[in-house]
Amino acid sequence: MSATTAAVPFWRAAGMTYIGYSNICAALVRNCLKEPFKSEAASREKVHFSVAKWTDGKQEKPTVRTESDE
Amino acid sequence: MAMAALRREGRRLLLSPTVPNPAPAAAAARSSAISPPEMTLLGVRSISTQVVRNRMKSVKNIQKITKAMKMVAASKLRAVQTRTENSRGLWQPFTALLGDAPSVDVKKNVIVAITSDKGLCGGINSTSVKVSRALHKLTSGPEKESKYVILGEKGKVQLVRDSRKSIEMSVTELQKNPINYTQIAVLADDILKNVEYDALRVIFNKFHSVISFKPTMVTILSPEVAEKESEAGGKIGDLDSYEIEGGETKSEILQNLAEFQFSCVLYNGALENACSELGARMSAMDSSSRNAGDMLDRLTLTYNRTRQASITTELIEIISGASALEG
Repeated sequence: MSATTAAVPFWRAAGMTYIGYSNICAALVRNCLKEPFKSEAASREKVHFSVAKWTDGKQEKPTVRTESDE
Repeated sequence: MAMAALRREGRRLLLSPTVPNPAPAAAAARSSAISPPEMTLLGVRSISTQVVRNRMKSVKNIQKITKAMKMVAASKLRAVQTRTENSRGLWQPFTALLGDAPSVDVKKNVIVAITSDKGLCGGINSTSVKVSRALHKLTSGPEKESKYVILGEKGKVQLVRDSRKSIEMSVTELQKNPINYTQIAVLADDILKNVEYDALRVIFNKFHSVISFKPTMVTILSPEVAEKESEAGGKIGDLDSYEIEGGETKSEILQNLAEFQFSCVLYNGALENACSELGARMSAMDSSSRNAGDMLDRLTLTYNRTRQASITTELIEIISGASALEG
């Protein structure tokens, strides 16, 4: 809790957004569950989508995100 | 269309046997000399019903497919609808706390248009694209810029046509697994990191009932703009009256809140849109299987009528032949 009292929280200094921070916290909490609740919760953190950035009206190569790697 | 072709073909086939044929060999030689090979259907008396029969078969197959699609959409809808209704509780506190500011005028607008990946779901994708376009027109000006972030294949296809220059990002394959918060949060994180914005405007079809979807816009302000707004008063100004734990400053709190609000709104928007998509697909497939049924009825009528006509013709020929022999 000491980190949150600093001027800038440590995760913000590391370039994370609040969403990324809270996601990691949520994953930690989910990992603390016992079976069978654990596998049930694991089904709720499946990530799959593909992102493509656009420059000058052209689509760049899409990247597929499959696991929560952040 | 098919009926006209059939009628034409029927007439041709009816005419060909009436050619007088004194000697079969001579007639065969003559007809092959005069008419093209497909006309030499000697001895064919009845009208061909093959075309109608094939068409009936294909319409029947299409009807089966649309019926199955409707069933699938209906069964999926029930699960998604409960999740959608539960997810509404995520953004409602934010609106109560921060209010919604649809009319805010800022420099950098980012329009997040939520559409579906698959088609065959009525007009929900064109509705959200239309609203996004109108908003783009409204928010772009000489010193302002507005960009698109598109979720879903169908919206991308429609927006590429006229505003490919303003597209910043596009996201697809979102609905491979059932939509969950983790997935949307990772996506929201990606969007926030890659896009500069003063105001994010999320556009989606809000699910009211299976047949009614309202295009909806939710505005999320960047922390700086939100701070300015809170100084100007209004709903955000009430934030000071809350007691806040920890040592964060107001701007930090606003930033965290804005980010979390975006992920929540995006989660709800994606779910609402998925729900609307399934509902729209259900009603679209319902009406198309009804249309296929109507078409099948009409075709059956034509088919039976033609068949009966050929039977009647044959009977007349036999009877008149017999009476000619008697007389």
